[in-house]
Amino acid sequence: MDLELSDDQQMLRDNIRTVLTGACPPSLVRAVHEGTSDYAELWRQVVDLGWPALGIREEAGGVGLGFVEVALLAEELGRAAAPGPLLATISQFVPVLEEFDCIDLLAEVAEGRRSGSLAVAEGSSWGLHSISTIAEVTADGTRITGRKDAVLAGSQVDSFAVVARDRTSGQLGVYLVERSAATVIPTGVLEPTLGLADVVFDAAPAVVIAAADVEEALERVLQQATTAMTLHIVGACRRVFELTLDYAKIRVQYDRVIGSFQALKHRFADMYLMVEKANALGYFAAVAIAEDDPRRAEASHMAKATAGECQRLLVEDGLQLHGGIGYTWENDLHFWLKRAKAGELLCGSSLHHRSQLAAALGLISEVNV
Amino acid sequence: MKLRFEASVEEFRQEFLHWLADNRPTAEEMAADPAVSSAHCPDWAKRWTKRLFDAGWLVPGWPPERGGRNAGAHETLVYLEEMSRSGVPRTTNPQGLGIIVPSLLDYGTPDQIKRYAMPLLHGEITACLGMSEPDAGSDLANLKTRAVRDGDTFVLNGQKVWTSGANYADFCFLFCRTDPDVPKHKGISIILLPMDTPGVTVRPLNEIVHPQHPDLNEVFLTDVVVPAANLVGKLNDGWAMANGSLAHERGMVWLMSVIDMEMGMQQMLELAPSILEALPEQERAVAADDVVRCYIESHAVRCLGYRGFARLVKGGSAPEQALMKLFASASRQRLARVAAEMRGPDALESKPQRSRRIGTLEDYFGIFGSTISAGSSEIQRNIIAERVLGLPRG
Repeated sequence: MDLELSDDQQMLRDNIRTVLTGACPPSLVRAVHEGTSDYAELWRQVVDLGWPALGIREEAGGVGLGFVEVALLAEELGRAAAPGPLLATISQFVPVLEEFDCIDLLAEVAEGRRSGSLAVAEGSSWGLHSISTIAEVTADGTRITGRKDAVLAGSQVDSFAVVARDRTSGQLGVYLVERSAATVIPTGVLEPTLGLADVVFDAAPAVVIAAADVEEALERVLQQATTAMTLHIVGACRRVFELTLDYAKIRVQYDRVIGSFQALKHRFADMYLMVEKANALGYFAAVAIAEDDPRRAEASHMAKATAGECQRLLVEDGLQLHGGIGYTWENDLHFWLKRAKAGELLCGSSLHHRSQLAAALGLISEVNV
Repeated sequence: MKLRFEASVEEFRQEFLHWLADNRPTAEEMAADPAVSSAHCPDWAKRWTKRLFDAGWLVPGWPPERGGRNAGAHETLVYLEEMSRSGVPRTTNPQGLGIIVPSLLDYGTPDQIKRYAMPLLHGEITACLGMSEPDAGSDLANLKTRAVRDGDTFVLNGQKVWTSGANYADFCFLFCRTDPDVPKHKGISIILLPMDTPGVTVRPLNEIVHPQHPDLNEVFLTDVVVPAANLVGKLNDGWAMANGSLAHERGMVWLMSVIDMEMGMQQMLELAPSILEALPEQERAVAADDVVRCYIESHAVRCLGYRGFARLVKGGSAPEQALMKLFASASRQRLARVAAEMRGPDALESKPQRSRRIGTLEDYFGIFGSTISAGSSEIQRNIIAERVLGLPRG
């Protein structure tokens, strides 16, 4: 048993961090927030580096790395508050294509010719039971009708993997719909860099990825999406922590840096513990997924639930301990506060994941959502 | 990263489990003469320690002549896992085995090792750790117990407090001041004090749980004379050695806290469903959430601990070791509180000595000391803030 990153994994993380420091500085995040630039150049660079292909099998032209490496990338994207469709592509779209052996589509993603996201949530539910989006076979092929909410990178990706119910059989299936065939309503007003959107399908033409018996595979995909989002939140929270710690070391009041006050020190120790805790549980889930261990479902619930606690503490203390300066638009802090908070609302809240655990432990009756 | 141990490590685990099944003391033996203090070694425990030593299972990482089998770090880890889960104490003198003997092996003379360390490893004697004083708790370097050189002897005067097991120990690993005229960290030495030396008075401090079986003590030293040869390591070098001792303690304690949390959580999961069932529907979900939070924490304790271990094995520094004390003690306390409060008035019932049981106030108050002793949570936060995060001392 080894819960520490291997030397290769650490090297990969260092490389990713170095690249993002140059390619995704706070000035870019600011420009996207302010609408004066977009993510196109960053996306071109990450495609050149082969990052969308990281977790794609080699026979489809991918790098063939495991889910721990995908999780690493998700964390670093959070640490950089990176805009663009990469997170959705590696942690939602690729897992769907891998589960259903879509070799041709995987090859397109690996070459950087296609990005994608998972369109599953309806209302605030990320569960599979209450899905009402409909798939219908017509003379003109398969058509999708319905509305999906909070689609990650919904306004940025090329295509959606839509989870919908067959009108005739009532079975859940997964369908590929091009973004151009749907109506995309951007929703991330406070966090525009994630490209969050509600997506409306009105008899949108679709390609069948799998028309039946998809539940188990989709649960596995959701575990990957959830765990990647966990580490994405952790990455954002760690940045909040570092910014706040740096500030406490230079801000002088009463002739001493404020970080020398014990009241603050203890809060920093607690914040540090919280980030490490969420990080450790996040990677435990990642390695459970990578090894397809039976604990993967439980581990991903625990990880996301803890990421929720983590963002709550780090957003509140990070903002509070910065004082007024952190409340200003000019300060960069808010990019990560908003990223961390948005992450809590995606892939199921911590409340949702704790209730799933409560049911799994037999403490309450099964929650079917 | 991987979730499983190497096959050879699992074989090592099985080898130990087989040996343990054939050699462990029986529950009846242990219940008939329970160890009532952290330096009390009943006859069954003496025999058990000797059996462990002879078979190389006392400290597997050490060579056979010191009770081991030159096992690697991962092997030692699975050994400690199984030992902790077995319900049999590895030792009834944890500070003796975990801190004092390793320190003596590091810094002691051959004669000190022969007279103090080896008999302890054979289960013949026990030891206590004389650190805290009335004015030197969290601020250990402020200790005032004096050792004055007089020919071939030291004369000791002063007072220790919170000394676990002093009421049963054969000797004390005593921290004392040998030079009062230098900065406080630089005038501390360690001296081996046989507890039957004239002038040593031990007064047990009855605790809020099990006052009939005190473990903490005050130790008064009045003109106590010990041979100068009982000085451990170099004169005035005690502070550096203290940091070594505490490192030994941390190295062992984190896994105990992982397993203790795991076993407590198991009891919680056995207890919770029937209690929750009896609750009104609207209370059930709230109570379930408390249990779930404890469950997540028990896994987090485990993940942090094992990750820190992985870093140590690879030779890196591991801030987890500092976090573990803070986190594991608080988590275990929270678990005890949630279980007791959820259980209702039944939690007031008393249970026999040392059979800690989740869901009782006895468990709650019994475990509470973990956030106070061996560096309180407040001190742990200061250590993390200053040594790990680099915030200035205030």
